[in-house]
Amino acid sequence: MTFNPLEQRGIPLDRQLRNWREMDVEPIDPDHCDPYTRCRIIAMNGIETEAVMFSHQFARHCPDPEVKRQLAQVRYIEQQQQKVVNWLLPGLSSVLETTIAYEQVAVDLTAWVARAEPDLYLQQAYQFGVLEDFDHLYRYANLYEMIEHRKADAIVEGLTEVMPGRPTKFHHRHPEDNVREPYDRTTANPLSKLHALTIMSAEQQTMNFYMNVGPQYMEPIARQLYQEIALIEEEHVTHYESLVDPGETWWEQLVTHEYNECYLYHSFMEQESDPRVKAIWELHLNMELEHLRIACDLMRRHDGREPQEIVAPQLPPVLTFEPNHGYVRELLDTQMDLTTLGTGYVQEAHERFQKLQEQIHGGEEPPSERVMAQHRQLFGGEYRSQPSGEHPDMASRERKE
Amino acid sequence: MSQAPEAPDARVAPESSEDAVALLMRQHGDIRNLFDEVEKTSGEARADAFRRLVHLLAVHETAEEEVLHPMARTAYAGAEKVVEKRLAEEKEAKELLSRLDGMDTEDPKFLPQLLTLRTEVMKHARAEERYEFLHIRRNSSPAQLATMAKALRAAEATAPTHPHPGVESATKNALLGPVAAIVDRTRDAVRKAMGR
Repeated sequence: MTFNPLEQRGIPLDRQLRNWREMDVEPIDPDHCDPYTRCRIIAMNGIETEAVMFSHQFARHCPDPEVKRQLAQVRYIEQQQQKVVNWLLPGLSSVLETTIAYEQVAVDLTAWVARAEPDLYLQQAYQFGVLEDFDHLYRYANLYEMIEHRKADAIVEGLTEVMPGRPTKFHHRHPEDNVREPYDRTTANPLSKLHALTIMSAEQQTMNFYMNVGPQYMEPIARQLYQEIALIEEEHVTHYESLVDPGETWWEQLVTHEYNECYLYHSFMEQESDPRVKAIWELHLNMELEHLRIACDLMRRHDGREPQEIVAPQLPPVLTFEPNHGYVRELLDTQMDLTTLGTGYVQEAHERFQKLQEQIHGGEEPPSERVMAQHRQLFGGEYRSQPSGEHPDMASRERKE
Repeated sequence: MSQAPEAPDARVAPESSEDAVALLMRQHGDIRNLFDEVEKTSGEARADAFRRLVHLLAVHETAEEEVLHPMARTAYAGAEKVVEKRLAEEKEAKELLSRLDGMDTEDPKFLPQLLTLRTEVMKHARAEERYEFLHIRRNSSPAQLATMAKALRAAEATAPTHPHPGVESATKNALLGPVAAIVDRTRDAVRKAMGR
C-alpha cells in the first residue's frame, strides 16, 4: 500500500484542539495489555516530546513573529498529543516497571531500525547501541525482582529476552568517543533521516525519564543504578544526535520531524492490537498530516525549496515492534567487546577509554555490578529470561554456584 | 537456571535483611504473582492458587492493619486521613474477597470478579507504596522498622505462597480455613510478636 503524506489532507488546525473530557483517556491495564502496545505508547511519547522541544528551540532562534505564532499554535496541539499518548500509561505501574518497558522499547525499536537501515555506517551505530540497552534491561530486571518480587518477564512476556549484553560498566567511554560522523543530507536515503530522528528521540526521552525518576527511589542500590544508567543515556543521545547532518536548515528539520510523526503514527495504526489505542494513532495521524502541510508551506516560503527534495515520495515500510531474538543473538555473538575510538569502533580497550574507566569507577565495582551481586546474594542466582536458549557468548552464561 | 522457574517462589530471599517496608513491597509482588497464577491456571491448580491468594491477602491486610497503619497514623499531622482511606480500601477488598471466597473457581462469574478484586488490590498497594511507606521510612528508626518486620514475618509464616507438598488439593487447602479465621490467627501471631 502506498501512502504519500504530502498528498493527504488532515484535520484543519482550528479543529484539532481537544477539551478536558477528550483528553481524559482511559489508561491501559498493566497486567493484561499487549507489551508492544505499551512499547508503542512509550516510543510515541518520546517522539512527541522531541516535537515539542524542537519547536521551542526553533522559536528561540526565530526572529520572525509570524512564524513564532505559527509554531506556537502547532506546538500547543502537539502538547495535547503528548499528554493523550503518555497518559495511556497506568498509575498502577511502578516506576521500575515502566523503566523495564522503556528498555524493551530501546531493544526492539533499535534492533528493528538496525535491520532496516540502508546505510552501513548508520547501521553499525544502531547495532552498537542496542547491545547496551539490552544489558540495561537485564540489570533493571534484577533490581525489579529484588524490590518488587516480580519477574521482568511478566512485563516483556518473552517478546524480548532478558540476559547480559555488553556489560554496563564498559559503557562509560570518553565523551569525545561518543560523537559519530553525520550522514550527508544531500545524499542520505530519506529513510536514514527518519531512523536517526526516531532513535535519537527515544533515547532522549529515556535520558529525561531516568534523570527525573531516579531519585524517587529510597533503596540505595536503585538510586545508584539509575544514576549510572542515566549517565549512559547521555552518551547515547550524543551518539545518535551526531548522526544527523547539522547542515539541515530549521525548515528542513521541521518538515522531517512532521513527516516522521506521520510515518510512526501510520506504522503504529497498522499494527495496533488494542482498538482503543489504534483509534488514537489514527486520529493523531490525521492531525499530523496537517502539521506536515504547514511545515511544508513554511519551508517553501522561507527556504525557497520543495519538501519533495528532502522526503520520500511515499512512506517507507511500516516500522514494526516484533521480537528480535535471533538478530540480537547474532550481535551478542559478534559485537559484545566493541567500544568506540573517535568516530569508529574498535575491539581493544584503548588508552582514553581506560583512563575514563579508571576515573569514573574509582577502583570500585559500579552499581550495575553491585546490583547483580546483591541479587545473587538474596536469591542465590541471577534473574534471566532466555526463551531462545543459552547465551550465545560462552563467557556471558550464568555461573552455576 | 536461565529459565524463570515455574513456581512463583522457588527462590526465597533471606528474610533477616529486609526491613518492614521492603517486606511489604515484596508481598505486594507475591500477591500480584498469585493473581497471575490464578488467571493462568484452571481446575484443581486454579482452586489451589486461589486458596493461597486468599490466605496471603488476608494475612497481608491484617498485618498491615495491626503493624503498619498504627505507626503511619502518627507519622505526621494529617496522616490520619491517609490511613483512613487505606482502611476503607482494605475493607472493600476484604468484602470482595469474602464474596469470591465462597465461589467455585470454575464459575463463569469468577474471573471477571477476580479481575475487579485485582484492580482494587493493585490500586490499594500502589497508594500504600506512594503515600504511606514513604512516611514510615522517613519517620521510623531502624529499630522500629526491624520490630515491625519481625511482626510481619510472624504473620507471613502462617501464609503458604506456593503449594506445599501434600497439600495440593483444594480440599486439603480448605483446611486453612475461611478468611475470618485466617484474620484471627494472623492477628494473634502479630500481637504476640509485638509483645502486646
